[in-house]
Amino acid sequence: MVRDMTEDPFESVVAAHHAEIHRYLVRATSRPSDADDLSQETFVRAYKAYRSLPPDANVRAWLFTIATNLYRNHFRAEGRRRQAMVMAAAGGSERGPSWPEGEVIASQASARIDRIVAALPLKQRLAFTMRKVHELDYDAIGESLDCSAESARAHVFQALRKIRRGLDDLEVVYTERQP
Amino acid sequence: MNPENTTCCDIEPDLVAVAAGEAGASAARGVERHVAVCRDCRVALERYRVLERMVADLRRAPVAGADPALSRAELESRLADIRSRMVAYGIFSSPLGKILIARSELGVSMVRYLDSEGAARSHLARLAGGEAVEDKAAVEATYEELLDYLNARSTRLGWPLDLRWAGSDFQRSVLAATAQLPYGAVTSYAGIARRIGAPASVRAVAQALRHNPIPIAIPCHRVIGSSGDLTGYAGSRIGLKERLLSLEGVPVGLRAHKIERGHMYVLFDGYTEYCLPTCGSLSQKPMAQLTLFGSRRHAEAVGLTPCTACRPDLHPISA
Repeated sequence: MVRDMTEDPFESVVAAHHAEIHRYLVRATSRPSDADDLSQETFVRAYKAYRSLPPDANVRAWLFTIATNLYRNHFRAEGRRRQAMVMAAAGGSERGPSWPEGEVIASQASARIDRIVAALPLKQRLAFTMRKVHELDYDAIGESLDCSAESARAHVFQALRKIRRGLDDLEVVYTERQP
Repeated sequence: MNPENTTCCDIEPDLVAVAAGEAGASAARGVERHVAVCRDCRVALERYRVLERMVADLRRAPVAGADPALSRAELESRLADIRSRMVAYGIFSSPLGKILIARSELGVSMVRYLDSEGAARSHLARLAGGEAVEDKAAVEATYEELLDYLNARSTRLGWPLDLRWAGSDFQRSVLAATAQLPYGAVTSYAGIARRIGAPASVRAVAQALRHNPIPIAIPCHRVIGSSGDLTGYAGSRIGLKERLLSLEGVPVGLRAHKIERGHMYVLFDGYTEYCLPTCGSLSQKPMAQLTLFGSRRHAEAVGLTPCTACRPDLHPISA
């Protein structure tokens, strides 16, 4: 295969996936400025490795893997500082107040989901986000988190279980949401 | 769901799977049977279903405070910068031995004869600020053209050249003047020095050509000593210089690595006619003012015509 250096197929990779990877990282980091840096770094790494990627590779899943690894390293580095922040943010909602009804409840509930997700252990949080927000399959998630597809599924399950329990006091959310 | 009941604990992952629409047929049947008799799990299943719908909303919800467009614009400019510094290279076999070829988006930036593949690393390290990436596919076409050239299937390497890694403006001007030398012709280091308007800088010219980043394409093998000696080439590879010149029909004395002026057609600077070496006072002229051709064919290929006085067309030099 002869590749023309002036034509860059990577541009279409950026066009197709940057917004989604950025969104994933905003959720993962809870800090848009970190997501800016990490999403750029993801694509810079990808660009350098792109030439050696097999033609039939799943580019989207591969980008999630790079982004996840970068984020995990970043997370380790940020470590305690961030953990302390999350604890403080989640602490206030340990005992849910009683919520008003209607629209507000739905948005309160999704804010509550965000808070619960933010306090989840790293792998559960990322597995949940990749599966439920970005709809990656468990193989791809396992690849990203360096575990089996089955473990990835278990991480998502644990996350959902905790979220459900965390919303249990919001009876009204469930009743409002009944089809 | 009754936490005391092990069935309820065991079935929870299946409840989640059913709610997400991911459950297999047998798990789905198990859940159906269980929730028919267990009110708690029936409620739990329903809640997981509601949760699935809420999570689906999450997918569509805008993410607060994030502007991917801005981040993407920054990314594009970073990629453009990397791309401009990126040099793809490959190591290939050639009639002249192992060869490293590297090119950037601007053109060919390096050709190197390799004694071993390990030597590539130190050559690539000279591309300061560049990002060398092994990518044979990206340089394959360049390699094919080189092979055609070395196997005498073509007489021209029409490559765009990237001279960003040439040492200095002086070196760039030496390389540019050398690149003008036609196929099948030679001149002297002093000739190049004269052409770039620095007739006293003969040694500096030799030095600049010694560090020619793109030999063959910039034909420093066509530059010889004023006495006709081949002098040096790519370190101690004078044999390669001889082979490249022979390929172009330039006769090289077998024993002394020397080109005899008496066996070459001669072009005096500024003329458009080429002559026999014996024409007029040519034999007294300094090498620096001459370009020598090994054959009439290659002289005429660049638009020169036979001298009407000495008539090289009627009295060709015998081989």
